[in-house]
Amino acid sequence: MNARLTTTLIKKDLTLFVRDRFYFLITVIGLILYVVIYWIMPANVDEELEIALFIPEQQQSGTFLDTEHGIKVTMFSTEDALQEAIKQSKYSAGVVIPEDFLSLIATGQKPRVTLYFSPQSSEELREAIKAMISRAAFMTSGIEDKIELKTEIIGNDMIGRQIPLRDRFIPLLLIAILGTEVLSLASLISTELTQNTVSAILATPVKLSHLLSAKAIMGMTMAFCQTVLFMLIIRGFSHEPLAVFMSLLLGSTLITGLGFLVAAMARDMMGVTSWGMIMFVIFVIPAIGTLFPGLISDWAKVLPSYHLIDAVSKLVSYHASFAEIKGDYFIMLGWSAVSTTAGVLTLRRRYR
Amino acid sequence: MNQHAIMVNNLRYRYGNLVAVDNISFQVNTQEILGFLGPNGAGKSTTVKLLTGQLRLQEGQVTILGRDITRELKKIQSEMGICFEQPNLYEQMTAMENLELFARLFNVKNFDGYSLLKKVGLEGKEKEKVVNYSKGMKQRLMVARALVNSPRILFLDEPTSGLDPVSAESIRNLILKERERGATVFLTTHDMWEADKLCNRVAFINQGKIVAIDTPHNLKQAYGQRLLVAEVVRNGNLEKRTIILDQPDTARMVQELFRNERVITVHSQEATLEDIFIQITGRRLTE
Repeated sequence: MNARLTTTLIKKDLTLFVRDRFYFLITVIGLILYVVIYWIMPANVDEELEIALFIPEQQQSGTFLDTEHGIKVTMFSTEDALQEAIKQSKYSAGVVIPEDFLSLIATGQKPRVTLYFSPQSSEELREAIKAMISRAAFMTSGIEDKIELKTEIIGNDMIGRQIPLRDRFIPLLLIAILGTEVLSLASLISTELTQNTVSAILATPVKLSHLLSAKAIMGMTMAFCQTVLFMLIIRGFSHEPLAVFMSLLLGSTLITGLGFLVAAMARDMMGVTSWGMIMFVIFVIPAIGTLFPGLISDWAKVLPSYHLIDAVSKLVSYHASFAEIKGDYFIMLGWSAVSTTAGVLTLRRRYR
Repeated sequence: MNQHAIMVNNLRYRYGNLVAVDNISFQVNTQEILGFLGPNGAGKSTTVKLLTGQLRLQEGQVTILGRDITRELKKIQSEMGICFEQPNLYEQMTAMENLELFARLFNVKNFDGYSLLKKVGLEGKEKEKVVNYSKGMKQRLMVARALVNSPRILFLDEPTSGLDPVSAESIRNLILKERERGATVFLTTHDMWEADKLCNRVAFINQGKIVAIDTPHNLKQAYGQRLLVAEVVRNGNLEKRTIILDQPDTARMVQELFRNERVITVHSQEATLEDIFIQITGRRLTE
């Protein structure tokens, strides 16, 4: 790769990016807006306590609301359904009362009450539920320690790590930044194709590889710098900064390939916008899953952005270690390679 | 030094089933201006794209400055200047930024953009964004861009298209100066007068084939007819009489004209390249 030629092309692309008022403004305003959105979101958790309850003898189902104590109890008809609801984080806790609860208490035996908790439930909540059940047993039998409590966490136990709303927004805001960059890069390439300036450039000593390298470096740098800046402002590098850097770098590589693909597929600016929006919607789905746990099914894991969002979310919100997210890195690396290769190949066809 | 700056042998190019360039062969001598003439769709632009490396060769050989285009394209392109038919400038950049960008890509040392812009009459406009330029100004900037690397081969695709007569004349003078500097010029144009005035030789291309290639003078000699055109007054009306020269009975016809008619004006007229093109192909150049 000829560094002089590539550097000249990057400088040219930067000049054109800055002079494209639309993309320059939405990049700058977008970045400011995303930071503002983050800071105005609540930093603490204040949720209504939702409990799932299964009593085998009770066939009724429905929801009972204790508005005075902020507790909502939903009756389930099977234990499996209750477990699934907890798994999907729809409830903070699930309580399964055994079929022979009353008879065991009456005969002086200890019935076993199973408590299910979602990974996001706090330690305080778990203790409160345990105390509540013990209290109910005491009120029924008049004797302390009359029941055996079995506790199960469905999913990874992330006790004490419930996520404030603004932290749940981080993946979504990152995807918004990266999505804007996909459009910006695709627009830059598409303009070069539609105005045929690419023919003039390729009629000089510049090779197609120089041109594509310059665009890739430009796209990656723009996306990486913006995401790093955003994470710096929101103090997103406080835990495992290198791992966060790595995630952002892989995310930037991924979107560069997608930017190439969008540019190759689009015939004009309308095409760039249309294809770009489709990509953006697909990318944003896993981020919505972080915002509203339980909303997105497992199929979202096949989306290219899932592992970026998963890695960032685990690092920033759950303070995961590098080892815990290395699986995400491998898959992101694979997606980046696929998107970049597909983007380069399709663009090569367009340039020729 | 090779006398032929461009050598083309059996060049053929298809777009699907359509044969755009059909087995053409020609040479362009060093410091020669070759005019490539033909109507729209004749294969001019495809030929230029093949010679400049914008299209890959399908059949045939092209050698430029002694180098095979399929093997040493980038070396050839570093000695080439191209003025494209349609403006393809970076419109959000200034004229000077456009020229400096290409000067850096060609690795031109001590590039003087101001004098180049002055040559094409764009002095004082160097800091204006190209998007604000008129069509003629963009065309002149395209010519300037083609000269950034002082090319040994210059491909000019309709360089005076859309220019006012004064600007067009300055570009023609610039082309002649480039030839004096040592450049070889491959010029495509619709303007027969321009081709006649500038070109050492012209090639007529029709339906992908070169149907004639020679100096304008030789083509006129071979195909054209010299005429005597007279304006006469008959019954109070001005009428035109035409006599073909170089015929056995030309002298008798001229005598009769002056004897029988009241002649107001008389002048000789040479066949134009357009006339010759029509005679050879049966088509007009501006179809």
